[in-house]
Amino acid sequence: MAIRAYLRFTLAILLLSTLSTALYEDQVGLADWHQKYIGKVNHAVFHTQKTGRKRVIVSTEENVIASLDLRTGDIFWRHVLGKTDHIDQVDIALGKYVITLSSEGSVLRAWNLPDGQMIWESILDVSAPSKSLLYVPASMSAGKDNLILVSGGSSIYALSSIDGQIVWRKELPINSIEIQQISQSHESDTIYAVGFVGSSEFVVYHISYRTGEVLQQSKSSFGSGFCGETSLVFDDTIVALDGQRSSLVAIGFKNGIINLHQTYISDLIPEFSGNVKLLPSRFNGMLAIDIASSIILLRVKGINELEVAEKINRPSAITASLPISKEQQAFAIMEHSKSGIHFKVKFDNDLTNEVLRETLHMDSQRGNVEKIFINSYIRTDRTHGFRVLVVMEDHSLSLVQQGEIVWSREDGLASIVSSAMFELPVEKEGVSVAEVEHNLFEWLKGHFLKLKGTLMLASPDEMAAIQAIRLKSSEKNKMTRDHNGFRKLIIVVTRAGKVLALHTGDGRVVWSVLLPALRRSGKCGNPSALSLYQWQVPHHHAMDENPSVLVVGACGQNSDLPGVLSIIDSYTGKVLNSSMLEHSVRHIIPLPLTDSTEQRLHLIIDGYLHAHLYPRTSDSVKIFLQEMPNIYWYMVEEGKNIIRGYSLESRELNTYDEYVFRTKQLWSIVFPSESEKIIATATRKMNEVVHTQAKVTADDVMYKYISKNILFVATVSPKAAGNIGSAAPEEACLFAYLIDTVSGRILHRVSHQGAQGPVNAVVSENWVVYHYFNLRAHRYEMSVVEIYDQSRADNKDVWKLVLGKHNLTAPVSSYTRPDVMVKSQSYFFTHSVKSISVTSTAKGITSKQLLIGTIGDQVLALDKRFLDPRRSVNPTQSEKEEGIIPLTDSLPIVPQSYITHSLQVEGLRTIVTTPAKLESTALVFCYGVDLFYTRIAPSRTYDSLTEDFSYALLLLTIVALVAAIFVTWALSEKKELREKWR
Amino acid sequence: MVVSVSVFRWHCKARVTARWEAIALVAMQVSSFPSSNETAVPIYREREIGGSDIHRWIHFLAHAMMRSAAAAAAAFINSPPPFLFIVLISSHLLSLALAASPSSEEGYMITGRLKLGGATSKEFGLPSKPTNAKVILNGGQRITFARADGYFSFHNVPAGTHLIEVVALGYFFSPVRVDISARNPGTIQAALTENRRVLYELVLEPLKEEQYYEVRNYKLFCTVSTNSEEHLCILFILLQTREPFSIMSLVKSPMGLMMGFMILMVFIMPKMMENIDPEEMRRAQEEMRAQGVPSLSNLLSRGN
Repeated sequence: MAIRAYLRFTLAILLLSTLSTALYEDQVGLADWHQKYIGKVNHAVFHTQKTGRKRVIVSTEENVIASLDLRTGDIFWRHVLGKTDHIDQVDIALGKYVITLSSEGSVLRAWNLPDGQMIWESILDVSAPSKSLLYVPASMSAGKDNLILVSGGSSIYALSSIDGQIVWRKELPINSIEIQQISQSHESDTIYAVGFVGSSEFVVYHISYRTGEVLQQSKSSFGSGFCGETSLVFDDTIVALDGQRSSLVAIGFKNGIINLHQTYISDLIPEFSGNVKLLPSRFNGMLAIDIASSIILLRVKGINELEVAEKINRPSAITASLPISKEQQAFAIMEHSKSGIHFKVKFDNDLTNEVLRETLHMDSQRGNVEKIFINSYIRTDRTHGFRVLVVMEDHSLSLVQQGEIVWSREDGLASIVSSAMFELPVEKEGVSVAEVEHNLFEWLKGHFLKLKGTLMLASPDEMAAIQAIRLKSSEKNKMTRDHNGFRKLIIVVTRAGKVLALHTGDGRVVWSVLLPALRRSGKCGNPSALSLYQWQVPHHHAMDENPSVLVVGACGQNSDLPGVLSIIDSYTGKVLNSSMLEHSVRHIIPLPLTDSTEQRLHLIIDGYLHAHLYPRTSDSVKIFLQEMPNIYWYMVEEGKNIIRGYSLESRELNTYDEYVFRTKQLWSIVFPSESEKIIATATRKMNEVVHTQAKVTADDVMYKYISKNILFVATVSPKAAGNIGSAAPEEACLFAYLIDTVSGRILHRVSHQGAQGPVNAVVSENWVVYHYFNLRAHRYEMSVVEIYDQSRADNKDVWKLVLGKHNLTAPVSSYTRPDVMVKSQSYFFTHSVKSISVTSTAKGITSKQLLIGTIGDQVLALDKRFLDPRRSVNPTQSEKEEGIIPLTDSLPIVPQSYITHSLQVEGLRTIVTTPAKLESTALVFCYGVDLFYTRIAPSRTYDSLTEDFSYALLLLTIVALVAAIFVTWALSEKKELREKWR
Repeated sequence: MVVSVSVFRWHCKARVTARWEAIALVAMQVSSFPSSNETAVPIYREREIGGSDIHRWIHFLAHAMMRSAAAAAAAFINSPPPFLFIVLISSHLLSLALAASPSSEEGYMITGRLKLGGATSKEFGLPSKPTNAKVILNGGQRITFARADGYFSFHNVPAGTHLIEVVALGYFFSPVRVDISARNPGTIQAALTENRRVLYELVLEPLKEEQYYEVRNYKLFCTVSTNSEEHLCILFILLQTREPFSIMSLVKSPMGLMMGFMILMVFIMPKMMENIDPEEMRRAQEEMRAQGVPSLSNLLSRGN
């Protein structure tokens, strides 16, 4: 009873102190940081006119269109387009509008260059997904050239660049034509549309630019066919690659007469073998082809004459040509060599001369150059200077000018695949992280600088250095562990295969490493990182070793391609071990076991359902074999609508490999595919801590059904599997299952008639919260399901406890027949949701908050109490005391409880929470295109003083108390003396 | 008439109340003649706020000027948070008929308009340009952006019931249910899902503005002074404090409670002791001495 009273008391205290934990505006940036990224750049257009700010417009793989400051790399504006709205091409029209063509040529938008306001949007009716082209005439003679040409499939559109109205539309008579190139003749208002019909026929249309009228049409066919790659070398000549990719076909179509000439690549390049690609670049009289080992520039002297102009060895990159004057065009080449990256600029009419040659030194962790974009400027001595925008292998973006990197952006962070939080080293002698290694000289220098600063002798540069030192040594940015556990390293792996460690204090990159195992190579064609795990976290045994990270990747999407493993020191970023696996990676199971050096055991399931144990030491096998009968795992096959549960069998499979185990299927749940389709699953976090199993209510005790093996599965009727608006309420149905993954038992099943996905769910302790769309009300709903263990319900009898007749000490097993009671309730929720997560704290005492990533890319913290199935319209007095909120039909959205306050985490994908050491506080890291980090206290920081705590008042009180002691002592002395005299 | 506006932002720690933080000071100078005397209040450290904010302030001051300056000043004095009544009327009064035009054989076009409540000076930092406004169909299936005049459209939307959401930082928009009828092509019905209000035209307005930060207690001081006969200086000072300083909050704090208890003990205990019979008191004291519990006074006196 006492315990219950105590619990209720603490609960009441916690509840009283909850609700608003909002920020004041001047507290922004104290505990949080926000970083804006754009992703890997695909296209770039420079805008460097004499007046105004110089900027570069880029479009990226993350469907971002952005305007960057050319001086600093800062974002002026940016827009994240829809998920399926891939940007195909970007250009600038009229000098003030940014034109983007997206969604496979069907959406054309114009954005205002200075502020990014959308000016107009045109939807083009493109019959089939095909290669789309955007052609913005370059010459700016006023009034004439304001038509934008877009081609897709067999149609050509001309749109006014002022308002996006379609001026004319030409549907070419041959239906299966695929337009490859559009060019404009110099002399007349004629445009040439060049296309292929089928694989072997070649068609040229001469179309009037003003009206879209077909002036002339000519056709020709080529026996061995085309593969579809072309390059425009003159206004009236293109070079195409033939069907076998072994020869080049030069096609001239001047005045409607088509000339074809075939040249074998092996005639041009004797050592050539293998595959060839045409590089999409517009050179005057030249084309660039990409054979595996090098890039080759070919000069087209006439239809019949191609010759090798230059050979550039890989790894290298080449820009498109940039017109400098009427007859000259410049292009740039970047070539890797041992001494650095050579950057060369040449004019196309004189390849032997290098206009510019510079050697760059780039961080080796950035990998190879992938793409470069060139731009020129006029130097003070009236010569041309060149700057290039460089996209590196790690997706970072840099601007190079005069042999220096002016700025660079770590844009790989826009595509984080997986993340984990790691501890920093303990503060003691000799332990420190990579960059903060101080020697005596640096220490002295720092102090000298500080002294100078206090004596007002420092120059502005030195002041900046002092500021940097202060920032580094300031409490939140230190590279050591702190008492509250706020300072940590966030280690992330990006899609480019780069692993970066970010400091939670200010989000700076502490170290970064481009994993060699995840770089493209002959053995591993298209590697991708899968996930990141804690490999070694030394606690007691291997204290001298640094903790390390395991990164698992695979050589492509296919499930039978081999996987790769890398182990990285989490303090320094050194790759400790990197290996290519002999088997594929289908599923990774981190086990709650560690070996004697505190390396965590991991099981990797391959495509043949064999389990491979890592680390491969005899020690780990010994530990593993003891625990093997207790290891179960499951696999959700979403395409097949099957969930299967497995256990492991002792090794009979491979006598020569003791780390491989056979698996045995224990159970399977097959959802009938005509009525149900799996759309979402969710499980509890492995490392979640539950403080108490008992939930004390006003007049009762309930026991939570706490099992690590609960799997939440949501299925919908197949008709409702599409988007909202595609299904009627009558044909839609959503089923939610709670499944025990050891026994395959369905603990609970609930159906929501007239509901459909997308479903976002989170499982924690004994409850699951899921978000779905209710078609009848046409609103989003969130449901909560809480499960309680009825088999322990009779333990609340005090006499049983006293007499020892309770079953509290009975082991919990998934094989015992569960006797569960389920409570659930549903509420409306306004917004679409991208991701749901739940706060986790060190001991699980603090009440929980749901972190809901809304469609507006904000993260809302919603108290779990709003999703309590015991909420009723009129709660009783005791329920009110307990903190039960009266029932409302919808969940409240309090703007102050957005943890992202007035920021947006563009393209939000995932919300990760990690407990701090301080029980009240959880660390939250959200990522998408942007990164956001903050720490939140769901029940306020009840275990530490707030930052606006008045220490002066405390001191004053102590002084006052001491003074009072002495005064009263003197008084009592006096009184005692008086009494003695009496 | 010339209005010259200077905007300052300055932080000060006043002597008495340490937490005062003045966020803005707006000086409006009204003169009947063009005047070069722009520095209205030179005593404060000047710091400019971003360009758009100045723009906004000018906007609101211009509106204020439409009434009379004096009336505006009076109104400011009467209502504490000054931004509440500054409502700017949207200049576009175009109405939009609610209809879907069949844009192609595949589907219909939904066209609507976004109406953000004009520029409001509710907060200095938050931009409310429609550049930030995104319009989302069916939970992310398609995303479009509002143009400068607020218009947006979705093309090739099939018949059925759809959901449109608007994302604009600083505003709370209700999702809109849009029914495109398959039987009568071209008829569209729209309703807000939050309050089931039926929209006769697809003009989306925010239900409310969202304030992402804890609201501070604002106090407005206004002084009107005349430099010379032509110049009228109106000085608005917006003062804010994190928590209003009050004696009660001090008393209620743990420190205050401790102090209160101590004072209580110091002054009331002796009074209570006096009421006890001296004989009994002595007995009790002897008992205590016998038990060897040293009293504080004894301890201190022994130290001497």
